[in-house]
Amino acid sequence: MQAVGTHRSRVWTARVLFLLPVSVLFFFFFIYPFLFTIYTSFTSWRGIGSMKFNGLANYAKLLGDPTFRKALGNNVVWALSQGFIQVPLACLIAMILVRKPRFWRSLRTIYYLPNVISTVALAMVWVAIYNVEGPLNAILGALFGAEKRNWLGNPDTALFAVIFQTVIYIGYFMIILLASAMNIPRSLYEAAEIDGASTFQQELNITLPMLRGSLITTMTLAMAYGMRHFESTFLMTGGGPAYATTTMGIDLYLKMDALRYSEASTAGVFLILMGTVVITVLRKIFGSSDPMSEMAQ
Amino acid sequence: MKHTYTPAQIIANFLKWILLLSLLAVALLPLLWLLVSSLRTNLELQTNPFGWPEKMQWVNYTKALAMASLPRLLLNSAVVAASSVILNSAVTAMASFILARERFRGRDVLYTLFTAGVLVPVISFMVPYFSLITKSGLYNTLLALVLVYTAVNIPVSIFLVTAFMKSIPRELEEASVIDGCGFFKRFSVIILPLSRSGLVTAATFCFIYSWNEFLMAMLLTSSIESRTIQLGIKFFTSQFITDYASMYAAVIITIIPSIVGYVFLHDKIIGGLTAGGVKG
Repeated sequence: MQAVGTHRSRVWTARVLFLLPVSVLFFFFFIYPFLFTIYTSFTSWRGIGSMKFNGLANYAKLLGDPTFRKALGNNVVWALSQGFIQVPLACLIAMILVRKPRFWRSLRTIYYLPNVISTVALAMVWVAIYNVEGPLNAILGALFGAEKRNWLGNPDTALFAVIFQTVIYIGYFMIILLASAMNIPRSLYEAAEIDGASTFQQELNITLPMLRGSLITTMTLAMAYGMRHFESTFLMTGGGPAYATTTMGIDLYLKMDALRYSEASTAGVFLILMGTVVITVLRKIFGSSDPMSEMAQ
Repeated sequence: MKHTYTPAQIIANFLKWILLLSLLAVALLPLLWLLVSSLRTNLELQTNPFGWPEKMQWVNYTKALAMASLPRLLLNSAVVAASSVILNSAVTAMASFILARERFRGRDVLYTLFTAGVLVPVISFMVPYFSLITKSGLYNTLLALVLVYTAVNIPVSIFLVTAFMKSIPRELEEASVIDGCGFFKRFSVIILPLSRSGLVTAATFCFIYSWNEFLMAMLLTSSIESRTIQLGIKFFTSQFITDYASMYAAVIITIIPSIVGYVFLHDKIIGGLTAGGVKG
């Protein structure tokens, strides 16, 4: 008995030791920040001094703040365009590549490439591309005699311009959808072929329904990323001109930079909340899928 | 070919390749434009945004590297990325071993908690991270970035490595227990070597993130001694304000590690992405 007891406690000591580093890091960088954000959103705290509880004052202030409302609206545009333009486009490409046209492997590899390049570098390229004297205006001028535009400097085109450049990241969703499409049994298509179904009918009646789960997953991912978008816009426009491209993340950063810490935390709570809303709403509409394990990618 | 193509099929085929090639152009042209521009003169860049360099301007690269801060920033980034990858791999290998190979109550709850970390947008933690790092006296140190990058990648790494470790047949481990392997030996001799592929995938994602990360580096560091290359090309390139060609050369230098890594490890990356995707 004695021997078994010590053996057991030794195993438990080892287990705890092995889990400890991850647990400590997870506590300090996920759990503590989560609670801290929620807590400080109910206080008037400016980084120094004590945290004074002020109820829902920050929430009222934030919802009445035209900049934040603009940011929230932009994030909704982001989420919708990622979910309903980016993902369908990625799906179309996946449906083509799953039929293994020539070079499909190389195409798959190259399509994903922009995802490993730093946003700072790519943002710099896009700023140059969108420049008044830059390549985009040169191409449009040569092809259609279009007038030169200041794509990022004009409030009417800036949001479109910062969203359009995300098309280079399509490979991410495409790879997830392609992997799923490759798992569809060939026999389904062979049977359809015998029944005389055209390629188009096969795609519509076999591929799309079979991809349903992955489509929900990628849409959830895309829309959640739309809600938390920060980096490329911050680097390309800083949220301007005149807040035309600002997002909740940028608003949070600017509030923090102005030492309005508790208001920044309130924006953080909204950011977390909107991501949760996206996931819950999509689950309600389309039924269950398991976006959580997919989000780990 | 058994049958001839109908006109409709020919048109469909044509449209298919138009689509595939346009996307190829969108994915590659920005990078190619950057590469070509980094080899032209500023005068060439100003007169025509396109065009081949009259003569390859390798001098742009010499000028970029001669910029006082660039080598230091590259070194900082390399140290931060390497340390984050090593630390992240070590801690997730240990935790994943327990989560994948040991049976105890609360295990699944713990696994769900760790992996659910990805559901939280880390940018909403700007204030607490800043406060935490400042209070612990780590502000403006490389260690601050190493800790943040290691921690932020835990959910992804745990997900990938645990899934991989779960797929190792139990018989291998049982045989080793009969041979007298204890807890630590089971980990270091059996499971760890067999999980190498999963660990490499997780490490690759961690490296790409750490090398490219911008926001936290901007938030948590303030001087050249501890800033990374991403901040460098955003802020310190003001030295290049009129010398765009050298600035583009500097940017090309910073993306070389990502490209080289991708060339060698793209199978791991695509495999890692699909590990989650197929279940959908």
